[in-house]
Amino acid sequence: MVESIVYGFTLGAILYLFSIGLSLTFGTMKIINFAHAMAYTLGVYFFITFLRLFPGAFCISTFLAVLCMIPVAYIVERLIIRRLYGESLDYAIIATYAVLLIGTDFIKFVWGNVPQQVSDPVGLSISIFNFIIPVYRLIIIAVAVILFVGLNILLRTTIIGKIVIAALEDAEGVRCLGVNVSKHFSIVFIFGTLLAVLGGILYAPISAADPYMWLNILLIAFAVVILGGMGNLNGTFVSAFVLGITMAITGRFWSQAADTIVFVIMALVLIFRRRVA
Amino acid sequence: MDILTALGFRASGRNALPVYKEICVLTIFFLVLTLIIHMYRITDFMIFCIYVMSFDLLYGYLGLLSFGHVLYLGVGVYISVLFSIYINSNPLLSLLAGTLGGGIIAAILGLIVVKLDGASFALVNLAFSQIGYFLVSSTFQKLTHGTDGISSRVDAWGFLNFSNEYITFSFILISMLLVFYLLRKLTSSPFGVLIRSIKENETRVTFLGYNTFLYKWITFFIAGTIASFAGGIYTLYVQYVSPTVLNPLDNIDPILAVLIGGAGNLYGAIAGGLLFMIMKDWLSSHFAVWQWVLGIILLIISFWFRHGFTGFVMAIRNYQRKKAVIYDQNGAQG
Amino acid sequence: MLLGKGRMRLLQVDEINVSYGRAMVLHDITMHLNQGEIVFVVGRNGAGKTTLLKTVMGLLKPWKGSILYEGEKTLGIGPVKLAQKGLRYVAQDKKVFSGLSVKDNIALAAYSNAVSMPEAITNVTSIYPKLNDLMENKAGGLSGGQRELLLIGRALVGHPKLLLIDEPTEGLAAIVIRDISRILMHMKMQKLSAIIVEQNLSIVNQLADRIYVMLEGYIIKELDNSIKIKNGHELEKYL
Repeated sequence: MVESIVYGFTLGAILYLFSIGLSLTFGTMKIINFAHAMAYTLGVYFFITFLRLFPGAFCISTFLAVLCMIPVAYIVERLIIRRLYGESLDYAIIATYAVLLIGTDFIKFVWGNVPQQVSDPVGLSISIFNFIIPVYRLIIIAVAVILFVGLNILLRTTIIGKIVIAALEDAEGVRCLGVNVSKHFSIVFIFGTLLAVLGGILYAPISAADPYMWLNILLIAFAVVILGGMGNLNGTFVSAFVLGITMAITGRFWSQAADTIVFVIMALVLIFRRRVA
Repeated sequence: MDILTALGFRASGRNALPVYKEICVLTIFFLVLTLIIHMYRITDFMIFCIYVMSFDLLYGYLGLLSFGHVLYLGVGVYISVLFSIYINSNPLLSLLAGTLGGGIIAAILGLIVVKLDGASFALVNLAFSQIGYFLVSSTFQKLTHGTDGISSRVDAWGFLNFSNEYITFSFILISMLLVFYLLRKLTSSPFGVLIRSIKENETRVTFLGYNTFLYKWITFFIAGTIASFAGGIYTLYVQYVSPTVLNPLDNIDPILAVLIGGAGNLYGAIAGGLLFMIMKDWLSSHFAVWQWVLGIILLIISFWFRHGFTGFVMAIRNYQRKKAVIYDQNGAQG
Repeated sequence: MLLGKGRMRLLQVDEINVSYGRAMVLHDITMHLNQGEIVFVVGRNGAGKTTLLKTVMGLLKPWKGSILYEGEKTLGIGPVKLAQKGLRYVAQDKKVFSGLSVKDNIALAAYSNAVSMPEAITNVTSIYPKLNDLMENKAGGLSGGQRELLLIGRALVGHPKLLLIDEPTEGLAAIVIRDISRILMHMKMQKLSAIIVEQNLSIVNQLADRIYVMLEGYIIKELDNSIKIKNGHELEKYL
């Protein structure tokens, strides 16, 4: 049971990393970015390639993969996202989904369709109160917590953080002050994307990588963001862990329902919520 | 105004003839198409067109983008199949069961989703589509045989023998024309005007005193029912079904079809459905990896050709009309 | 648009037509503003006054007509660049960034105008000293009047050229209205240009160089304030 809870926290951590970018993009630019899922997957594949080149060098490969994704994120933002600002939501969804289709096929073309495995880089488990817990999972959870704290600090102290907080509430008002929200958003977008990439890489040893690995996490991430509140990063932190733990515990008793329970919860919350998302 | 006039079944001073002309045109078009493409394929295309028309009602007319419409198609398929295996293998009854089953689910889920705004609406429908896939492939495995799939078997009924290619084709053609007729009537009725107004500015329609939730819900119900009808028809002539009919990745298909053809008009739905299927056939037979082409087309449409094929045609017609006016004026001066 | 004295009009609006969807909100609106003038726009609710301000600010696009600001066409420029060129907009809903502190609200204005924080703070507190005590408070906790003063103060950061203020005194207590009136008078004495939408006729009378009267999307009257309008009887005719 304790293993399930730890696993739940791990899932929550990964979900949180993935969802930050989605939440920020929707909160400030009002765009649902399906291409986020493509970045997640592509980052993992870059990582696996580097790991094959430098066997055992987990951290370096992670760093290189993240580095490679910076131009990818920039191009997506510049060519697609920025052009979608102010457009109706429908076209934003459709265009970013198109990027997802193209990216997924690119991955299939370069790396093939077969799932790839990555082994646990730490390979150790520690024993707390007679429970055996893989250290690696604790590291993942720690990363998420550090990020949460760091993000809050960044948002409050840097000017770009303040622009983000203001834009999440009233992007038009920020523009009327003469601040180019779109240009500043580039950095935010790239940052959010890289976090998702990091999340994907950290999760890779726990699950295999395949070109469609994004499907599951994307849908659950949407639930995380809807439940946490679009643009509400602290809410996202909470809902990510709540859903992660729910999935893990459900998975223990009824393994196939783990995903579904998330959507049932989301549906219930949406039915009973006064305010529409 | 009584319900029949409101739904367009009783003409309120308007000439009802043109619909019949449209139906004749469509019939001739599809019959001619059989000379070029194999009848079996066209049957598939027509089913897809029914499905796309149902999606267009929801997206093109009402303006609600659902990323989970495939659920209703799949529900129609499975309820029809299961009905014909476990309860009664009469083709019309199983078709009816599938359609009604899908309609009931659309009615229930509609209550939840229709009050959501654009982003949530798209995603929650996707979530339900995923749940549907999961239920069919795992939870109800005992009934549905999960990912192994089940054989579909319908009896003949009277002259309706679906193993006969010509009968199947005619039946499905008539079904498609029937759906076209119903939707044409619906969208040109006051109801149609109302949902189009909701698409444009829902707040104002609410201020006029209408319960927009009700109309959105009804539209969602109709769209889901017709999609399930399409699924039900599919089981009439296909030998075997599997959960792939509910694959959430297929949710993009009707969206792409409607955009290619032009959203908000029934010809666009049919044109888009045909173009999409033909393109898919061609691409998948020539390339191993081909979805990126769909991605590129989607991008081009989202940025430059929002109104799709029919929009392009209408733009050309407008241009020609303007030219005609200029010529007229020149003629008068000359 | 040159006047006899060879001076360019700060703002020239020519026959703009603006619509929301299919509803026409502004019909062939023509108006102008000279440097140093304070022009008021009055009219019943729904007359299109807010739409006019928003269009000048670049938040809405007219499908017909043109707007010249400092001699340059503004169509398609957008609020960001216009704000950088000296246009400032204070919205009717008195919205501040409630998640940020008062100080951070000012910081954003300082950042976009490349003004130092001390200078920006002075800009704002000079018109409303009490704000000094509220610097670290969340802007969302301010009262309506305090918010309006913060917004006007923030609009003055970085040497603005043209202020667009939408109903500054709406919903405020008399004592606050007096403060705002005093500030606007101060701005007038410094020859700041402004277009102000107002329903409070005494303020209009005190400060207006000219008045435009709007009704249902049209400008029906342009009044020169040399006609001493006492107690708004004259104006009430049009409202």
